[in-house]
Amino acid sequence: MKNSTLSVEDLKVQFSRRREVARAVDGVNLDIAAGEVVALVGESGCGKTTLARTMMGLEMPKSGEVRFNGSPLGRRAMREYRRKVQMVFQDPSGALNPRDTIYEAVAEGLRVHKVAGDEVAQVAAALSKCGLRPPERFFNRYPHEVSGGQRQRVVIAAAMVLEPQMLIADEPVASLDASVRGEILKLLRDLVDQHGLGMLVITHDLGLAWNIADRIAVMYLGRIVEIGSCEEILEHPKHPYTQALLSVVPESKRMEQQILTGETPDPLHIPKGCRFHPRCPLMQNGEADRLGIADRCRGADIGLRDVGQGTRVACHAI
Amino acid sequence: MLLSVRDLTVTYVTQASAVPAVRGVSFDLESGASLGIAGESGCGKSTMGAAMLRLLPSSAHVSGEVILNREDVYAMPFSRLRAVRWAGISIVMQGALHSLNPVRTIGWQIAEAIELHNHDLRDHAVRSRVGELLEMVSLPAKCAKDFPHQLSGGQRQRVLIAMALACNPQLLIADEPTTALDVMVQAQIIELLQDLRSRLNLAMIFITHDLSLLSTVCDRIAIMYAGRIVEEGPSGSLLSGPAHPYAAALAAAFPTIGDHSSRMTPSGLGGDPPDPTDLGNGCPFAPRCPRVEELCLGYDVPLIDIGDQRKAACIHVEPSRVAL
Repeated sequence: MKNSTLSVEDLKVQFSRRREVARAVDGVNLDIAAGEVVALVGESGCGKTTLARTMMGLEMPKSGEVRFNGSPLGRRAMREYRRKVQMVFQDPSGALNPRDTIYEAVAEGLRVHKVAGDEVAQVAAALSKCGLRPPERFFNRYPHEVSGGQRQRVVIAAAMVLEPQMLIADEPVASLDASVRGEILKLLRDLVDQHGLGMLVITHDLGLAWNIADRIAVMYLGRIVEIGSCEEILEHPKHPYTQALLSVVPESKRMEQQILTGETPDPLHIPKGCRFHPRCPLMQNGEADRLGIADRCRGADIGLRDVGQGTRVACHAI
Repeated sequence: MLLSVRDLTVTYVTQASAVPAVRGVSFDLESGASLGIAGESGCGKSTMGAAMLRLLPSSAHVSGEVILNREDVYAMPFSRLRAVRWAGISIVMQGALHSLNPVRTIGWQIAEAIELHNHDLRDHAVRSRVGELLEMVSLPAKCAKDFPHQLSGGQRQRVLIAMALACNPQLLIADEPTTALDVMVQAQIIELLQDLRSRLNLAMIFITHDLSLLSTVCDRIAIMYAGRIVEEGPSGSLLSGPAHPYAAALAAAFPTIGDHSSRMTPSGLGGDPPDPTDLGNGCPFAPRCPRVEELCLGYDVPLIDIGDQRKAACIHVEPSRVAL
């Protein structure tokens, strides 16, 4: 691993309810280096938000670990970690206290972490870094007094004021209007490029990934099923799930739509064998039988395998 | 012509202020055709959808005409309007996942719409119609016995579509029908709507903020900004060569995967959405427009015919330049 800053190793997170166990994250390996944007994509219920919450130390893993700059995440390192790894939430209206001014919202992190130095100067620097200029004009305004795009900038400024090394952004633009989205994405990409941050973007939007991500990890039912460079994955997807996902996105170049039947899969009942096989187009069109892999698809679990070009895929057909 | 909307204007009046939501919208829709309406939140697209059926609250002051089959919806007595709702035009509302009654079965709720319009239909006829409608949206007929919470989001959306089709409408208005759904489920619903449209010769108005979705669904697209249509035309040519700078910015916000010019260059529009209470005299888009000129600040351009069945409201549009 080149000096990766944030990594997870064989991470498993489970939730139990009565006698049932939901395997929300079921063995994930992922690392995010400084200066790169990794997009984690998948349908809702695939475990992407649970993975992010665990990386923030908000959920305890069943097994496996989260490592930051090489050292595992534990209770003692948590305070330092929570300063270095910041989260950007989906809905800026929900993430900001409506009764706090923008200054208070951004300064709160500094106070929680008892950061020394001139508070006003630090808040002003964070706001202008995030495109809210001149910052003094925003100090005494309340969240409802600014537009949705500006609110999201405030949320990002509140994360940036602590000078983090890593940002985890959960659907950072999903609640914003189309015309504003690009500006926020541009800001996030610039922060990564100018300050050498690493960033994990959780999204269901493949067009967004194409816009800002260096690498993409496609998640299905608690596992990463395909990971590699953004170009490679979006232009030459290998895993049947990635192919299907890409074919239904209106932003993708016209290819034949493969609409998967059935609903989003259920982490309470993960199928045996390849977890995608009940919905897999290769199983349904007989291609798996022709390749002689159908039995393995039904019976043998499969992990990620290197397929060249830096791409790793979990599929028996490859 | 199935539907003609003429100079539709909606203003929300409160004690303190009057907020214009729709400012003089006109368009036509032929039977079986589909029109997509796109724009950002607050542009008036949902208000316009609800205005077609006189569904707005009394604080909304409406003027203009909505003519369905040569009959003005706003001149009808209430009894006639009731017949037009569901049977002439039906609407699938935004936030549809919450618009089912949680304590009634799916079958009961669909039957309610049918019985309202066919008082003398017998119980078993209503039941078989409910089953037929559920099958039409690819749900098993036995779903009629289920309560909404027993269904997934995609299935509930199908139920709402079935309900909207209960009285064989000629026009279906779908307001953000897939917004809360996952990409794969969204594709399933879009496929269903396409299929129903061609099978039932249904006209459709599709309201969404997701411009990329409209290209697959609609024959024509209208882009709204600040309560007005700023560009209208066939979906293919509008999306590949938008004439109005706002339409261009909106189209660029949805990158084409595989197109390397959009790689790593997210495209957005600076500035804030317009404040409807303070629009001024000029083009409402002028404060954010990359091509703004002095003339734009004082002159609000109407929709100009630019050939190829296209119209745009911008001073930079000349028929010769767009006729490529």
